[in-house]
Amino acid sequence: MISFDYTVATDADAAVRAGAAPATRFVAGGTTLIDLMKLGVETPEHVVDINALADRDPALGAVSELPGGGLRLGALARMSDVAWDARVREQFPMVSQSLLQAASGQLRNMASMGGNILQRTRCPYFRDTATPCNKREPGSGCSAIRGINRGHAILGTSEMCIATHPSDLAVALVALGATVRTRNAGAGRTIPFAQFHLLPGAHPERETVLRPGELVTAIDIPALPAARRSLYLKVRDRASYAFALASAAVALDVQGGTVRDARVALGGVATKPWRSREAERALIGKPATAATFRAAAAVALRGAVPRKQNAFKIELAKRTLVRALTEVSA
Amino acid sequence: MHIPHTSATSPGAALPSPALGDQALDFAVPGAVPARRLADFRGGPVVLTFHPGHWDPARAEYIATYNRLIARAPGLAGAKLLSIAGSGPWQELTFADTALSIPVIAGDTSEVARLYGVGSAPAVFVIDEGGTIRWRHDAATDALPHPDDVSRALAALAEPPDDTGDARVAAADASSTMRDDPLVSFDAPDSPAPPSAWTRRDFVATALGAAFALALTPLAARAEPLARTASAPGAGTAIGAPAPATLRVNGRDIALTLEPRVTLLDALREYAGLTGSKKGCDHGQCGACTVHVNGRRVLSCLTFAVMQQGKEITTIEGLAATAGVTGDALHPMQQAFLTHDGFQCGYCTSGQIMSATAVLREPWGPDDDDVREAMSGNLCRCGAYPGIVAAVQSQRAGQPAPTGGTPRR
Repeated sequence: MISFDYTVATDADAAVRAGAAPATRFVAGGTTLIDLMKLGVETPEHVVDINALADRDPALGAVSELPGGGLRLGALARMSDVAWDARVREQFPMVSQSLLQAASGQLRNMASMGGNILQRTRCPYFRDTATPCNKREPGSGCSAIRGINRGHAILGTSEMCIATHPSDLAVALVALGATVRTRNAGAGRTIPFAQFHLLPGAHPERETVLRPGELVTAIDIPALPAARRSLYLKVRDRASYAFALASAAVALDVQGGTVRDARVALGGVATKPWRSREAERALIGKPATAATFRAAAAVALRGAVPRKQNAFKIELAKRTLVRALTEVSA
Repeated sequence: MHIPHTSATSPGAALPSPALGDQALDFAVPGAVPARRLADFRGGPVVLTFHPGHWDPARAEYIATYNRLIARAPGLAGAKLLSIAGSGPWQELTFADTALSIPVIAGDTSEVARLYGVGSAPAVFVIDEGGTIRWRHDAATDALPHPDDVSRALAALAEPPDDTGDARVAAADASSTMRDDPLVSFDAPDSPAPPSAWTRRDFVATALGAAFALALTPLAARAEPLARTASAPGAGTAIGAPAPATLRVNGRDIALTLEPRVTLLDALREYAGLTGSKKGCDHGQCGACTVHVNGRRVLSCLTFAVMQQGKEITTIEGLAATAGVTGDALHPMQQAFLTHDGFQCGYCTSGQIMSATAVLREPWGPDDDDVREAMSGNLCRCGAYPGIVAAVQSQRAGQPAPTGGTPRR
């Protein structure tokens, strides 16, 4: 690991100023950053520790209730604290489930909300500095498109990058229409979750709309009564402690056998947290039946572009979504 | 742990610690046949170390280390190092075909400890060729200083006495300037001639001898005085320069000098000498490095040590004490892993046990499957999982019911 200067930010303004300098990274839990620094993928010269910000502003490290209903997840709240929070489990069970099915008990005690949604892809070529990767080294090429791509994305890909977005939590958040609150040199922004992550397009190195030094401070989840019966279903190579091959975050409001409202997002198959409004439209107003669910799943995967090893994900994602919809409406 | 020679059998309270610049008090080496005195070791620097009671320099596992160092440093014959251990007879250990010997004082060493004001913690003194104490390791911990620090202290002996009379500062500054290569500094044209006619070869032999012997000890931590050298002029300008950092591990403060890039795991293993936490994958995928920070299980390989200052860190070495267990007795979870055959090779075991004890405080459901899910971040290549689940469940039996239970998919 290359040497770097380490500083502790004690107020958010100082953090934003320090974070705007070139070759600077914030560190909270460190579970992504330090891993990638050991691999030489991340090579910051300055690391700004933002954990002490929660000492001054405890809301940054906690779950709190929004005035009009809904919950605010502080950017420094740890995955485990959010996962076990009684309000999260009651109002947004799929958020709790997405967290508990991610990583391990140790990692969940470390990793923060802000870091979770900013985590980098697990594409093995991204993590291996000996191979070309447009995300890591723009213009160097994509090793995955014709390489080992069983775990890669089938939705939202480009000819420059097919890396899967690894977060489970982000799939639940995009389904729930969350917003990301930030602080920057001005005052800060509120960014709809669906607009927070970028498709790879011609610039896979750009993953979010954050600007240099801009600090995520919270994630707001608006009230959604239907989300009390929501589900995050994750399919993976082993029963626990693995990234998703396919996952579905669904919330259904079913009244009298008819779907009144629906939220659908997919994980493990897309280059960003993937909300399918097409699938939602295919559900709303329809009877909550297997046929409706299958039709919605077909719509959700309509634009999928499989590669040599990951074509199975199309069918897997459909079945995952159908099963999730079936379970949540049962 | 504690040191027998400072236990209740001591004839009197420890005297005040000798100050830097004091003459090292002479003593007869307990148990030495023929009789030896500290004064017999004069004529070159002496590193006087007070070791934990269980330390045995003759343990077979150290032989490879001895041989490696001997192979690297043919001049080791000049080394003079006196170790005071709490067990075993007086030994002069000789290795390979070299003349290197490490006298280890044992027997009743309580009087020697008393003379040097040594309490319950290990201690190290660097005594110059004239018998003056020039450096000492003061950290109030279970740990000995890092070999590099002792080397630097020995290197500093080659500097002229400080006019201000503050030997500690002089030693620290000198060692700071020698950080990169003490030998270069030793031979620098501007350096005054070292006291007495040391040859470079003698110096190398002595410094390496000290580093060598200390490398054998199970505990090593940076000494507090030299931790200050990180802030000496010029030392803080480089990116990521080492700086003083204090970690609270197993209820004790350990003063270290760390680069920011040193992970908590490496700080524990390589600087504090606490090797119970294991390095498996070093990427947060195996769980072998699991420790507790403020009572929660975390992966010590994925956090920088400097980030964990001010936190209560517990490693497998300090786990039993958290259960109120004293002496050599095991934590109930450690005993459960033995009882239920929860390991084979043992490499993942300290991480498994640290994880398991934290799981007891997390709101998991009661089933075996809940244990499997809760423990999934700890991999066991031997496949001892059935025993691990049984061990954890045996300790959950008497636990109050967790609140909430495990959410189901």
